[in-house]
Amino acid sequence: MANCIVDKDGVKRYLVTVNVNGSDFTKVVKANTLLVNFLREELDMIGTKKGCELGDCGCCTVMLDGKAVNACLVLALDVDGREVTTIEGIADGEDLDIVQEKFIEHAAFQCGFCTSGMIVSSRALLNENPSPSEYEVREAIAGNLCRCTGYVNIVEAVLDAAEKK
Amino acid sequence: MSVKIKRDYSYVGKSLDRNDSYQKTTGRAQYTADLKFPNMLYGKLIRSNVAHAIIKNIDTSEAEKLPGVKAIITAKDVPAMKFGLSPARFDENIFCIDRVRYNGDKIGAVCAVDEETVYKALKLIKVEYEELPAVFTWQDAAKEGAPQIFEEYPGNLNTEIHHKFGDVDEALKNAYYVRTDRLQGQRTYHAFIENHCSVAYWDGDRATLYSSCQSVHYVQYHLCRVLGMKMGDLRVLKTHVGAGFGGKLDPTGLDFSAVILSKITGQPVKMFYDHEETFLNGRGRHPITMELTTGVDKNGKILGHKYKAILEGGAYTGLGIASTYYAGSLLGVLYDFENYQFDAYRYVTNLPPCGAQRGHGQPQPRFAFEHHLDLIGEAIGVDPIDMRLINARKANTVTLAGYEVKSYNLRAANEMARDASGWKEKRGKLGVGRGIGVGNGGFVTGAGFCQYRTDLPHSVGMIKIYDDGTQAFVYSQAVDIGQGSDTVLLQMAAEAMGYPYEQCTMYAGDTDLSTLDFGAYASRQTLMAGWAIKRAGEDIKQKILEQAVEMFRATGKIKEGWAYIGNRELRPDDLDVKEGIVYVKQEPSLTLTFEEVARRYFVTKGVLIGRGWYHPGKLGGNHKGAAVGTSPAYSSATQIAEVKVDMETGQIECVDTWDVHDSGTIINPKLFHGQVHGAFYMGIGETIWEEVLFDKKTGKLLNGNFAEYRLPTALDMPPVLSLTLDDSWEPNGPYGLKEVGEGATTPTMGAVANAIYDAIGVSMTELPITYEKVWRALKDKK
Amino acid sequence: MYLPDFEYYAPDNIAEACKLLTQFGEKAKLLAGGTDIIIKMKKEVLAPEVLISTKNLGMNKIEYVPGKGMVIGARATHNDLVKSEVLAGKYASVSNAAKQMAHNQVRNVGTVGGNISNAVPSADLPPIFISLNATVKLVGSNGERTVAMEELFTGPGKTVLAQDEIITEVVIPDQKMTGSNYIKFGLRKSGALAVVGVAVAVQVENNVIKDARIALGAVAPTPVRAKKAEEFLKGKTVSDELLAEAGVIASGECKPISDIRASAEYRTDLVRIFTRRALRKAIDEGHV
Repeated sequence: MANCIVDKDGVKRYLVTVNVNGSDFTKVVKANTLLVNFLREELDMIGTKKGCELGDCGCCTVMLDGKAVNACLVLALDVDGREVTTIEGIADGEDLDIVQEKFIEHAAFQCGFCTSGMIVSSRALLNENPSPSEYEVREAIAGNLCRCTGYVNIVEAVLDAAEKK
Repeated sequence: MSVKIKRDYSYVGKSLDRNDSYQKTTGRAQYTADLKFPNMLYGKLIRSNVAHAIIKNIDTSEAEKLPGVKAIITAKDVPAMKFGLSPARFDENIFCIDRVRYNGDKIGAVCAVDEETVYKALKLIKVEYEELPAVFTWQDAAKEGAPQIFEEYPGNLNTEIHHKFGDVDEALKNAYYVRTDRLQGQRTYHAFIENHCSVAYWDGDRATLYSSCQSVHYVQYHLCRVLGMKMGDLRVLKTHVGAGFGGKLDPTGLDFSAVILSKITGQPVKMFYDHEETFLNGRGRHPITMELTTGVDKNGKILGHKYKAILEGGAYTGLGIASTYYAGSLLGVLYDFENYQFDAYRYVTNLPPCGAQRGHGQPQPRFAFEHHLDLIGEAIGVDPIDMRLINARKANTVTLAGYEVKSYNLRAANEMARDASGWKEKRGKLGVGRGIGVGNGGFVTGAGFCQYRTDLPHSVGMIKIYDDGTQAFVYSQAVDIGQGSDTVLLQMAAEAMGYPYEQCTMYAGDTDLSTLDFGAYASRQTLMAGWAIKRAGEDIKQKILEQAVEMFRATGKIKEGWAYIGNRELRPDDLDVKEGIVYVKQEPSLTLTFEEVARRYFVTKGVLIGRGWYHPGKLGGNHKGAAVGTSPAYSSATQIAEVKVDMETGQIECVDTWDVHDSGTIINPKLFHGQVHGAFYMGIGETIWEEVLFDKKTGKLLNGNFAEYRLPTALDMPPVLSLTLDDSWEPNGPYGLKEVGEGATTPTMGAVANAIYDAIGVSMTELPITYEKVWRALKDKK
Repeated sequence: MYLPDFEYYAPDNIAEACKLLTQFGEKAKLLAGGTDIIIKMKKEVLAPEVLISTKNLGMNKIEYVPGKGMVIGARATHNDLVKSEVLAGKYASVSNAAKQMAHNQVRNVGTVGGNISNAVPSADLPPIFISLNATVKLVGSNGERTVAMEELFTGPGKTVLAQDEIITEVVIPDQKMTGSNYIKFGLRKSGALAVVGVAVAVQVENNVIKDARIALGAVAPTPVRAKKAEEFLKGKTVSDELLAEAGVIASGECKPISDIRASAEYRTDLVRIFTRRALRKAIDEGHV
């Protein structure tokens, strides 16, 4: 492959460019680099967390071309040329997104470890479905586990952030 | 008591936003695994893959040759001193010295230049074991001829308790109705999402350790003791902590290894767990076999209760002794009866150690007793709520164990939950497959004794006002693990000082910067750290008022005659301060700002510091083990759950819930209710879905992941209506408060189990009450 | 966790992909959504030396082709199936089945082809596809072939795919079925493998069952048809008793195992219950 280089021990590395939160980042990585590690280690964006690392807890959730995905199950090379949105890209500079504001207002987080993924999942939902029902909210975040809140305030916050019908 | 308590506070009682709101919603909040230091190494523990074995040889030679591996340590490289969280049972080492006692036990640590190299190095380490027979249930551990896991626990019996109050046998003889039930609780885990992680580095002789922990003090204490360090030479602090629920209280192999490896290598070291290792760390709920016998009079009043509990403790003691005491020590708080016999046993087994988990030792015994109480009520024709009303403790009483209970509103909690849920219209009228059930609970608000023998106060608070008075820094080693302790402590600080909450900043959980507190467990911080901080705030306030008196006199703000009031000079108690404004009570238009007073103080006297101190004092109970169960205050709670059961498949759905928590003054209602929601969430998870499973032959953990250790998802969780009692006020709590964090998990299993019983008419006595168990029970019933 | 090392290729077309699969043989695996294979690699169940990413191969359209049927590209994700108006309009039961898989994040990347070729007995799509008589197109270095979905699976994790073959599309043919439905029974409402999965498709005219296909998931080494139950139903008038008896018969046609999720006995009885319920729903709702 044209974008592959081999070092003296035969280890292959690949050039990859990923657009994260609106900026292109180009790095040279091994093939086994997962998107979650690319974000946390290569780009120092530690807002996306590692919890179960097997796609069950959702704390690594980012948006890939606008869709919520588990970054722990995606290869960085597979998102070459694509758009990733992390928790760091949800606010607009110092202006918080309404989802973030409502999370704060409704105390929709306690320890906060699931919160990055939870907010990204919620924002992805509202982008696609601006006025979801309660069931649709619960379905959208069913892949985000939270051990602290029991989801009660989270669901309230997302419904409050939604456009009123 | 139905007197309305007057609460006229600026900040206490207000649903203020959490102080970490911005950080946690923007991804700025750092947790221990997010920390990066220049030239940092990464490390992991070396674990056994056999349940019980003598370590013959650990061959690290291949791993050491791997490029990038910096250091490997095993028992021979670290102090051999034993430690433990129960002072009477130090049975743990940093690494196993001669034998491993569970599949996953720690035998060493590796560190390397990056994560990948650590994983590769672990694969190259070869350990030779001489396997020994292993036991995985208390029944097998207790058998004659069972393999002995510890020399010091003959028969594998780790803890034995015999409490006798009054005369139970006599009481049972005279009872109208006597009943015995046998119930079983299962092993569950805290299942927080953030795995343990520790990062350490040295500067000369001082070490710094970041740990994802619930108590920086206990980590500091145990590490210094074992490593032979002076406490002042080890700084333990935390970043944000991704919850604990009791599972981050024991110092881990990560803590020790990080400190030791960073010394050996001269580089910062980050030690971390994968998710499965967090499960292998253990310290969760004990499996518990319970036999309950109760005698009641014809109205349902408890005359006597006999209770035997057998706990399976896993491979080490940890906090297990307290867990065993807690299994029985708080029943006598909830319900008022005089004759009680409690016999409990804890056995060690070759599985990950069990310890403290939200509600510490209580939730499953609550499940057992609450269901047992319903069955008694059914037999004698008394409604479940009435059973509880007749037996609930009243305020200002002393329990049979000698615990003084001041405020206690369990009766009112039951009545409010009954009315809010529509109990009277629903109970017995919902039809087959639908049920409503009630459960009671509550907890200590802080334990009366430290986890190790010491004369230290339980909490010391300090507040510093910034030079120009524009910020207040609040210091406490209290750790916010998500429950919101930072926020409520700031609220109490602001209230006590009369200073704006918005200008208060917390420095918590840092043994260098923050002042002593024992940490987040036993639901203690809001009360104990709260007292220390409140007193520190009052200290500041007093100094401010004294300074203001000087200034009123000297700065010409006093009208002719106002330097005197009547025939005397202005005194500090003629003044008050509220929300940053100091004013003369008799003439409130005469004011000074807190800021200008504080600045004047700084200019003339130096740093404006307030100090507070808290110790619960000697709390009741003279019997052996009385320490566990003592507390300055006890919360109480009632939960009611409504469930729907598919009578063919056994699938259970909880459709609605109500919680009333007798918690005294609520410092922050928004955060309070969040605690109730989360506590209920854990309780219902453990009632229906959660169980840690091991291979019966090898003791290997089978479901150390979030696919097979099933937490309820957002689609599984019912609505929770969380209510409080306005006229609950606790004299032993600052501002009249009591706990909520753990007490709200204790009623849940009973409430849900009782609702299921109401729905299906079959008593389910074994947790978790899975769909399959219900299906089988319904099949067998036919 | 640690992902073992591998070489990465991202071929631009199917022919190139097949060539790479032939070149590397057993050392190579295809990568689609990654939600199965990445997990297996992290758990060290699999350690392919080469991963061939399908990201540039397209194959993600869902369209109805007259004369052929509903054509679902192998790289269509589960959420693509959920959101496809074309699919939901003609085979709502398939969209609904896709919705029950895992959870939202996995559904956004997990592909139909990946799910099928992973061949776990509890997969949610194969039963409904089988009940609708779907076929699968396989393309290899030596050409292409079409296989009936129910003949694709040979055991847990095993299919008839040759080393160099790629699934390119699933086709649901036009059919006379008037109702179909998939019910998944999991141990929680999301993020749970099927303990039992029952898919049915029926052709009902004047309350008489003219044709029936019942496919069971998670209760045998592969998805299986309950052919005796199907035969029993044909030609009979719909009634509660009839459907209940079909359930009983179907429960005798599965071979479930006991594992940490459920016992064989429980699964067998669930087949009985859900076959009856799925038939009732398919008949009452009257849509495929």
